[in-house]
Amino acid sequence: MSDRMSDMDPRNAEIDRLLRRSMAAPVPALSPDFHQVLSRELRRRSQPPNSFGPILLASYSVVSAAISVVVMRGQGLGWMAIALTTLAPLSTLELARRLRRRAWGMAGK
Amino acid sequence: MIRVDSDSQLVTRAQGGDQDAFDELVRRHSDHVFRLALSILGQGFAAEAEDVAQQVFLKVHHALASFRGDAEFGSWIYRITFNQAMNVKSRARYRMPHVDDSVLSNVTTAQLGPHSLVETAQRDQFLAECIQMLPEVYQSALRLYYWMDASVADVATLLDVPENTAKSYLHRARQLLDGMLKQRGYSYV
Repeated sequence: MSDRMSDMDPRNAEIDRLLRRSMAAPVPALSPDFHQVLSRELRRRSQPPNSFGPILLASYSVVSAAISVVVMRGQGLGWMAIALTTLAPLSTLELARRLRRRAWGMAGK
Repeated sequence: MIRVDSDSQLVTRAQGGDQDAFDELVRRHSDHVFRLALSILGQGFAAEAEDVAQQVFLKVHHALASFRGDAEFGSWIYRITFNQAMNVKSRARYRMPHVDDSVLSNVTTAQLGPHSLVETAQRDQFLAECIQMLPEVYQSALRLYYWMDASVADVATLLDVPENTAKSYLHRARQLLDGMLKQRGYSYV
């Protein structure tokens, strides 16, 4: 209490008393299972990622891109237009993924 | 004799993949992180403050490899907490806090007539509104000091400022509140 009231002028001391009175309320504590929940979440996140999903997704992308190229070529589209329509969505996806990663990394700084 | 590792020793071990070291860091700092988050979010936002604490430790775990120890681990984690809580606050601003009827028992009823009781409640309500108008660091300092009974040194540590700055936050906050209350014609009796 020594650092609280000793060096205050009367007005400051009054508002100090008022604040102490009006803000008096029980202070909540962390729930008892906080550490358990956190440990579980950390374990879940530090597990190596399931590689089956990305492989499946990559295969699907390659096959669908190849089919698209064949179909578009069959329709008489030029290589430039085909490359643009095929690569634009893929590069947008990659850009979004990188931005998400960067945002996650920066939040920790 | 039990060996007590410093934060930086624990950080080095955690960076090397020692999960026990990270758990110890969490144990050491979780209450402070939670309280700092709560001081920013305010009364009635305990669940949100706990979520903030959870997110902070997940982020710290993720970014631990990039922590080079230029600052204290505590300062680093409290800065992350402050930013995370501010993000949550900006989303939770328009939501009323959870308030249960235990707050009624906090009203000092001794020797107060119905008129004074209403006046006191009105003044406290106005004071709470005024506090929310203060800069965030002032609000946080006030809640840490008056609500959570933290010392000036603890306020300074959690807000990552020198002790004199924490003192001046409190002083300035009291001055501003005094001005607002006077303007409204409230007395302190």
